[in-house]
Parts: sequence; structure tokens; C-alpha cells
Amino acid sequence: MASNATTSSNAAEFAYTRVLDPPRAQIFKAFTDVDELKHWWGPRGFQWVSAKLELRPGGVFHYCMRSPQGVDMWGLFVYREVVPSERLVFVNSFSDEKGGVIPNPWIPEMPQEILNVVTFIERDGKTTIHMRGTPINASEAARKLFESSRESMEKGSGGTFQALEEYLATR
Amino acid sequence: MPTDHLSTIFAALADPTRRAILARLCTGEASVTELAEPFEMSLPAVSKHLKVLERAGLIARSRDAQWRPCQLHAGPLKNVADWVEHYRRFWTESFDRLDDYIQTLKDKENKSGKQRHNELERG
Repeated sequence: MASNATTSSNAAEFAYTRVLDPPRAQIFKAFTDVDELKHWWGPRGFQWVSAKLELRPGGVFHYCMRSPQGVDMWGLFVYREVVPSERLVFVNSFSDEKGGVIPNPWIPEMPQEILNVVTFIERDGKTTIHMRGTPINASEAARKLFESSRESMEKGSGGTFQALEEYLATR
Repeated sequence: MPTDHLSTIFAALADPTRRAILARLCTGEASVTELAEPFEMSLPAVSKHLKVLERAGLIARSRDAQWRPCQLHAGPLKNVADWVEHYRRFWTESFDRLDDYIQTLKDKENKSGKQRHNELERG
């Protein structure tokens, strides 16, 4: 991974920070222009089959990618907040052809929708992208877990969970 | 795994003491007394936490030995971890590709800039 990237993750949320060279207006466009998204969003080796994007609160980015094994997979963003060049809030899920939300095909029992908050901060001509993803419409217990984990991370005492993750990584 | 079971797992994981207990059990089985040591907590209080973990299927307690050691059952935890890892990988790879994409844009820009420059030089 590039040295200008940091990630942290636990069972509660996923946070990611990356610094890129271009000004934030250009990065924001790469995040929100369907022709630009096709160049970078999604795993390597997947082919774009179709995509439509309406950039406004309540608008959607509904797309289909074909896996290297030839399986078509639909995905959905529903935008909640669009502040040009500054902030993008959207709910991300797997989808069907009609734009409905479906369970994660690999781990069907997990929360289906993830709320992503992406902020773009420009400093000295470089852009820091920060994104945080948390599951929504999860159970009350799940929500509590997300909160408690964030708290422990902010206090810098997320160590126990890290130990667990390291352990799990070896399984 | 049904959703209500998942909620039980999340609820069990939501408590820092229970997470610490799980972390301790990663290193091997332990008795209630051993597990209680690092905490300022009574044995019954620790037992309560263990019951929550047991109900979530995250630990098992041996019925045989008198001291009933606790063991970690990592299966359900692994499901949760896999899911987060899956999401993390998806975005990390996308951001790597975004980096590459921006680089190709830059290269293109430099190239066309050079071309213009050459054309100007040639007059």
C-alpha cells in the first residue's frame, strides 16, 4: 500500500485516509462523474457492463460489473448529501438489475447497507480524502457496537480489538 | 447465520471488557479467576460477561474439568472480520486504481503539453 494511505478497521466501521496530488475539484469529479468512475471504482479485472448516475440527494449511481469469472454484479449508491468538491455522503449496497437492495452475495448475513461519508480537504495543492463507512439499518446492538468501537479508537485504546484481528488473520 | 444471532454477536462484542476477555482467550484457554485478574471486577460480574459471550457462541466452557476453562470459538467472529476485510479490500483497491488513473491523466496532460510546445517550436 502507498505510504500516503492509512486504514483502520474493526467490526464497527471502516475508515480510510489517502492523500492525492490533484486539487479536490478534480478528485471530486473522479468520484461523481460516471465516465471517470469507470476508470477506477471497483476491483481490478472487473469489466463495466452498465452505469447510470444522478448526482443529487436521493439520486443513485446504479451500475453493473462483470467479474473475471463472467458473473454480473449490480451495485447501488444512494446519495444523501452532495457538496461539490467538499463532501459526499452515500449509502452503498449490492443491488439487482432493478435497483433493489440485496444481501452481500459472499456474506449474506451481514448488514446490507453501508453509509459512507467522504470528505475532500485541500491543502498546499494536495487533497486529503477521508472516508468512513458504517453499516446502517443494522440492529440496535450493531449500532451500539459501532459507537463503542469508535469511542475506543478515538481514545487510542483500540488495542484489544487489534489483537483479535491479528489472531483472526492467522486463521 | 440468522440476523438475530448476528445481533447477539454484535451485542456481545459491544462491551470493552468482553472484547478484552476474547483477546485474552486468543492466547489459550483460561479459568474465570484468570480472566478476572486484569479487571477490577467481582467473579460474578465476570461470569455474567462470560455468559453473554457463551450465548453468542463466541466462547465455550468445558463441562469436564472442575475449573471449567473457557475457550475461544472464533467462527462467528471471523464472519464479522471477513466482512469488514472484504469492504476494506474493495476500497483500498479502488483507491489504488484512482491513484493510477490520476497518474495517466497527468501523463496525458504532460504529453499534450509537450506536443503543443513542439508544435509551437516548429512554428
